[in-house]
Amino acid sequence: MAKARSKRGGLLLRLYVAGNAPNSLRAVANAKAICEEYLTSRYDLEIVDLLKHPNRALKDGIIVTPTLLRLRPLPVQRVIGNLSDTNQVLLTLASK
Amino acid sequence: MNPTAAPHRRGLAQRLSEAQATIDALLSGQIDAVVDSKTATPVLLSKAQDALRQSEEQHRQIVEATTDGIMKVDAFEKIVFVNGRLAEMLGYEPRQMIGMGVSTFMTASARAIMADPFARPAGQDTLDTVLCHKSGTAISVNIAASPLVDGEGRRFGTLGMVRDVTERDKLQSQLMVSDRMASVGTLAAGVAHEINNPLAAVIGNLDYIAEILGSAVRDSSTSASPGKSDAWLLDAIKGPINDAREAAARVRLIVRDLKIFSRSPIDEPKCRVDVQAVMESSLRMAWNEVRHRARLVKLYGVVPKVEANEGRLGQVFLNLIVNAAQALPEGHAEQNEIRVSTRVHDGRVVIEVSDTGAGIPPEIIGRIFDAFFTTKGVGVGTGLGLAICHRIVTDMDGELTVESTLGKGSTFRVALPIARHEAIEVTAPVVEAMAGPGRRGRILVVDDEELVLRSVKRLLTKEHDVVALAKAKQALALCAGGETFDLILCDLMMPDMTGMDLHRELSRVAPEQAKRMVFLTGGAFTANAWTFLSDPAREHLEKPFSPTTLRAVVRRHVQ
Repeated sequence: MAKARSKRGGLLLRLYVAGNAPNSLRAVANAKAICEEYLTSRYDLEIVDLLKHPNRALKDGIIVTPTLLRLRPLPVQRVIGNLSDTNQVLLTLASK
Repeated sequence: MNPTAAPHRRGLAQRLSEAQATIDALLSGQIDAVVDSKTATPVLLSKAQDALRQSEEQHRQIVEATTDGIMKVDAFEKIVFVNGRLAEMLGYEPRQMIGMGVSTFMTASARAIMADPFARPAGQDTLDTVLCHKSGTAISVNIAASPLVDGEGRRFGTLGMVRDVTERDKLQSQLMVSDRMASVGTLAAGVAHEINNPLAAVIGNLDYIAEILGSAVRDSSTSASPGKSDAWLLDAIKGPINDAREAAARVRLIVRDLKIFSRSPIDEPKCRVDVQAVMESSLRMAWNEVRHRARLVKLYGVVPKVEANEGRLGQVFLNLIVNAAQALPEGHAEQNEIRVSTRVHDGRVVIEVSDTGAGIPPEIIGRIFDAFFTTKGVGVGTGLGLAICHRIVTDMDGELTVESTLGKGSTFRVALPIARHEAIEVTAPVVEAMAGPGRRGRILVVDDEELVLRSVKRLLTKEHDVVALAKAKQALALCAGGETFDLILCDLMMPDMTGMDLHRELSRVAPEQAKRMVFLTGGAFTANAWTFLSDPAREHLEKPFSPTTLRAVVRRHVQ
C-alpha cells in the first residue's frame, strides 16, 4: 500500500493489485503516470495488494486484479485491466 | 415509473459493462488474479498461465522438432496450420501456406483421405501417395489423417501427419534393382562357366591343330617331293581353321565381358582396376547400340589404375555409353559422335562419355540422377540407370557429374580416386617368353570336364609327362600314396571335391604338392573362391587360356 499524494476533497482512487504479478506492476506504473500527467485537480491514489488484504478486496467487491476504483466522486467507477488504454482510464475517471 | 428504479437500472447497466470489461481484460491477458467468491481467497492466474504457456511451448517444440510434417485443415480444405517440416517438404514458408487450399499440393487421392479420414482402404492406417512440391517435383509421402472434433462432437477439420518416404522408396527400388543385378550376375557367372569349359577345349584343340598344320606346311615345303594333293589339302584347311580360331576368340571376349558383370561377390571387393580395359569391354557390349547411331572416338590418355570394383564400374560405363547412344537418332552414324576419354585431373582419374545429341534441358538437368526420373518412353527406361550409376560411383569415393548444352550434346564425367595401396590385382599370369624346350616335367591335371582334360593333355604331352584325372579324390589318393608332380593344374569348381578342398587336404598330407598347385578357373566365383584366390600365393589361370600361356606357366613351374 502506498499513497502517492494526499489532498482533501479531490479524486479518491484505489488500485487493487496482486503482488508483483506483471499486469499489476504495469497497472501501478500506468496509474501513477496517468495521475501525474493528466490529473490537475487534487487526487488520492491508494494501492492495495489483494494478496495481503483479501478482506478489503471482498468488501470493495473486487473480482479480478488489477482493478482501479474511483471511490470519489460517486458513483463508484471501475477500470479493469492493466490500465494501458489511457483514454479509457481517463473517460472512466471523468464520467458522472 | 418508480423513481428509485432509475439508479437501480443504472447500477445494473454499469455492472453489465463491468462484467464485459472483466471478460475483455481476461481474454486479453491483463488479469493477474481472481478472487474466489466462495472461499474469499485470491487465485493467482500467472502461475496457471505460466504452466499453460510452458505446456504450449512444449507442444510447439514437439510439433516443430518432429521429422514428420503436420497440418490442420478446415472444413473447406484450407490450411489453418502447418509445421515447419511440412512447409520445408513442399518448398514454402509456413506462413505462406496458411489459408492455402490443399489442392495446390495434393492429388485427388490424398485429398480424399483428408476429406474423410475413415475412407482409407481397409487394414491400412495410412495412405502412400505423392504431394506436389512448389517446384513441381513429386514427393513420395505417407499420410495419416484424423478428424478434428469440437467439444460437442462436431467435425471442424482434419489433422494430417505427413511422412516423406522419398528416401525410403529410393532405397527400396535400388535394393530391388541391385537384387536383380545380383541374380543377373549369378546367371551370367553360371553361363560363363558352362561356356568356358567347352570353349577351353575348342580353343585348345584349334590351336593344337593350327600348330600341327603349321609344322606340316613347313615339312611339306622342305620335303624333296611334296605331294600336290597334300599341299592343296593343307591350304584348304588353313583358312577355315583360322576363321574358327578367330570366331572362338570372339566368343572368349564375349564371355569375358559377361564375367566382368558377374565378378562381384557379395562384399564387392575393390581392386586396382584398369579403366581402359573396363571401358573397352563395356564398349564391346554396347557396340550394337552405338554403331548405327554414331562414330566412336576414343581418346585414351595414359592413366594409373583406380581403386574400384571392376563389375560395378563396367555397369556404369555400359550405362553411360548406352545413354549416349540413345540420345542420338538412329541411322545417321556419320553425323554423330560418341567420344570416350580418359585423363588425370586433380589427382583423380577422369573418364568422360560425350555425345553430340540434343542435350539436356536446364530445367531437368538437376533431376537426372533422381531415381525414377526418365525422359524415355514407357518401357524404354526405368529412370534408374543414372541413379544407380551415381550411387555406384559415389560408393567408390568417386564423383559422377554431367554437363550439357542444348542442341550440342552432353558429357558425363566419372572421377575416380587413383589406387593408393597395393590391392589385389586380378589378372592372368604374365606370359613368359621361353627360349627352347625345358626339362620334361611331370604334370597332374584335374578337371571334371573331359574335353578340357583331353585338350590340356594333348597340348602338354609332347613336352611333359601328363597324368589327367577327372576327380579331385583320385588326385588326392595319388598324392597321398607318395606320387609327386612338378605341377598340379586343378579346376577350382568341381562337384564332390573342389580345387579348394583338394588344396586343403594336400596341405595336410602332402604340403609340398599343395604348393605346386595352379588353379584353372571358369568364372563361377563363389565368395569363398574369391577369398581363396585373393591369396597372392595362389596362382590361377583363367579359362579359356591359349596354349602359349598354358605352356609358359607349366615351363616356369617345371624349371
